[in-house]
Amino acid sequence: MTAELPPGLAIQKVDERIMTLNVGPQHPGSGHMRIIVQIDGDYIVACDPDPGYVHRGEEKMAEYRNYITNIPHLERPVIHDSCNALYPYVLGVEELLGIEVPERAKYVRVICSELNRCIYIMYWLAIYGIFLGHSTMFMWPAGDRELLIDLMEKISGARVTHAHFVPGGVRNDLPPNFEEVCLRQVNYFEKRIREYAAVFYDNPILISRTQDTGVLSREDAIRLGTTGSVLRASGVSYDLRQKEPYDVYEELDVHSPVMKEGDSYARSKIPWLDMLESCNIIKQALQKMPKSGSVRVKLKPNPKGKGLDSVYKRVESGRGSLGCHIVSDGKVEPYRLKLSVGSFRNLIALPYLLKGEKLGNMPSVYWSLNYWPVEADR
Amino acid sequence: MTNTATGIIRALNSGIKHIATKRFTLRYPEEKLKFVGDGYQFDPSTGVGIAGLKGRHMLFHDHCTGCQLCSIACEGVAEAIAMVKVPEEQKQNKKSIMPQIDYGKCVFCGLCVDACPFYALYMTNDYELSSFSKEGLIYTPAQLAVKPYVEQDSEIIITKYGATHG
Repeated sequence: MTAELPPGLAIQKVDERIMTLNVGPQHPGSGHMRIIVQIDGDYIVACDPDPGYVHRGEEKMAEYRNYITNIPHLERPVIHDSCNALYPYVLGVEELLGIEVPERAKYVRVICSELNRCIYIMYWLAIYGIFLGHSTMFMWPAGDRELLIDLMEKISGARVTHAHFVPGGVRNDLPPNFEEVCLRQVNYFEKRIREYAAVFYDNPILISRTQDTGVLSREDAIRLGTTGSVLRASGVSYDLRQKEPYDVYEELDVHSPVMKEGDSYARSKIPWLDMLESCNIIKQALQKMPKSGSVRVKLKPNPKGKGLDSVYKRVESGRGSLGCHIVSDGKVEPYRLKLSVGSFRNLIALPYLLKGEKLGNMPSVYWSLNYWPVEADR
Repeated sequence: MTNTATGIIRALNSGIKHIATKRFTLRYPEEKLKFVGDGYQFDPSTGVGIAGLKGRHMLFHDHCTGCQLCSIACEGVAEAIAMVKVPEEQKQNKKSIMPQIDYGKCVFCGLCVDACPFYALYMTNDYELSSFSKEGLIYTPAQLAVKPYVEQDSEIIITKYGATHG
C-alpha cells in the first residue's frame, strides 16, 4: 500500500533520531523543486531530490508545431540562456533540412551564445551569493549582467527570450557600429568580474564554507554522468566546444578551465573562469568575423524534413552538454523531439554529495551543481 | 590567522572603492533606455531582418492585403493575432480584414513580422503596454496604425570611474 504512494508522502518508520525535512518546492533555497532530506541533528543522513514541479511538456508541444514556430517555446526552459537552449535544435534542423549556413551567421551565433552564457552565469552567481548570505555578491552580478543584456537587446531586440537563432542563420544582422560597442562593454565587464575575486572567491569566509564540502571525485563524476562545470571541477577536461566543435568553434582558441578539487568551491569557481574565457572568445570572434555578408538563408515558409530521418546535436550550454534529438517523418512538424539537458544529469550527483554534510551546507552544495529546475523538468 | 584577516580586509576594501565609482542603476521612469533602431523590421526580398527592439507592432493599412499570414505564423506560438473586419470608413483591402493583436498573449518573438510579405507589419520601440483591463490589451487595427512616441534618453557610458547610464 505504502509503496504506491509518491516519495515523501509514504508513511515512513518513525525513528527517534532521524527527522525528515522537506526543502521546497516553495522554499527560496531550492527553486521550483523539493529536496527531501533526512537529518540526524545537523548532519544529513540521506537526501532525495524530487524535481518535476515545473514540467511544461516542451517535448510533446514540439510535435504539434512546425520547425519555425517551435523556436519561441523551446527557449523557454532557460530564458537567461535562451540562445544556447535553442542552439542544438537549430543545428539539428539545419542538418535535417540540408541547409548551409553563411559564415557571418555562424560568428554572430557564437557571439550571441557566449554573451548568453555570461548572462546565465551572472544570474546563477547572484543566487549563489545570496544563498551564502553574501548580499554584495547578489547585487554586483545582478547589476553587471545589464551590460551584456544591453548588448543582446541591441542584437536581437529582446532582453531575455531572444528567439534570435533560426534554421539557416540568425534573424537579423548586427546593428551598425556594434563591434565597437560590444568590445567596449565586454572589456569593462571583464574588468568588473575580475574584481569579484577579492570580494568573493578569495574571501576566507567563502573558502571556509565551501572548501572540502560536497566532494565529487573524478571517478564518481564520470560514473554518474555529470556534465559541464561539475565535470570540469572534478578534473575532467571535457568541453564540447573543444571536443566536438560546432559552427566556428574550431577556428577559435578555446581554453576551457579545469580544476582538480571537485568540492563546492571548485564547482562555484569554474563558471566564473568560464565567463573570463567567454569574454576571450567574444573578442576573438569579433576580430575574425567577416565584416559583411548574408546572415540568413531564405527558407520556404513551412520547411519539411526529407523522409524518415533522425539527428542528434549537442552544444556546451551554461550548464553543460545540451543535446537535442529530432526525428522527422517528412512532415512539417518533427515526429519526436527529445532534449537531453545538463541540469538533470548534474542533479543525480546531489544525494551522493550531501550524505554526511551539515544541513547549513545544503544550499551551497545544491546550487554549485549548476542546476536549473525549469530546464531539468522541460 | 593573518591570512584570514588580510583576506577579509581585502574583501571589504574592494567594496569600499565603490563609494567613489559612478552609479550604474537606471532610474527607470525618469530615465529611459535608448534603442538601436526604429524597432524590429523585416525585408522579405532578402529574407533578413533589421535589428531593433521587439516592442508593440505597427500596421501599415495601405500595405496590408488581409492575407492572414501573420495570424497563421502566430498560431503555433501565442495565438495572439486575430483577423477582424475593418470598419467601412477606414482604409480597406479586398477582404477588408486586418490583424488585431492581443498583447496579453503576445510573446514578442516577431515571427509575424518575418511572415509578412508586403512590408505591412513592423515592430516599434514602444514597450510600455500596461492596461487596467484585459480588454485594454487588445489592439485593434486602427490602434496599431498609430506610430508611437517613445522617449529614449540614456545609454550605457563607460568612464574611468565605472559604467553609468548617462
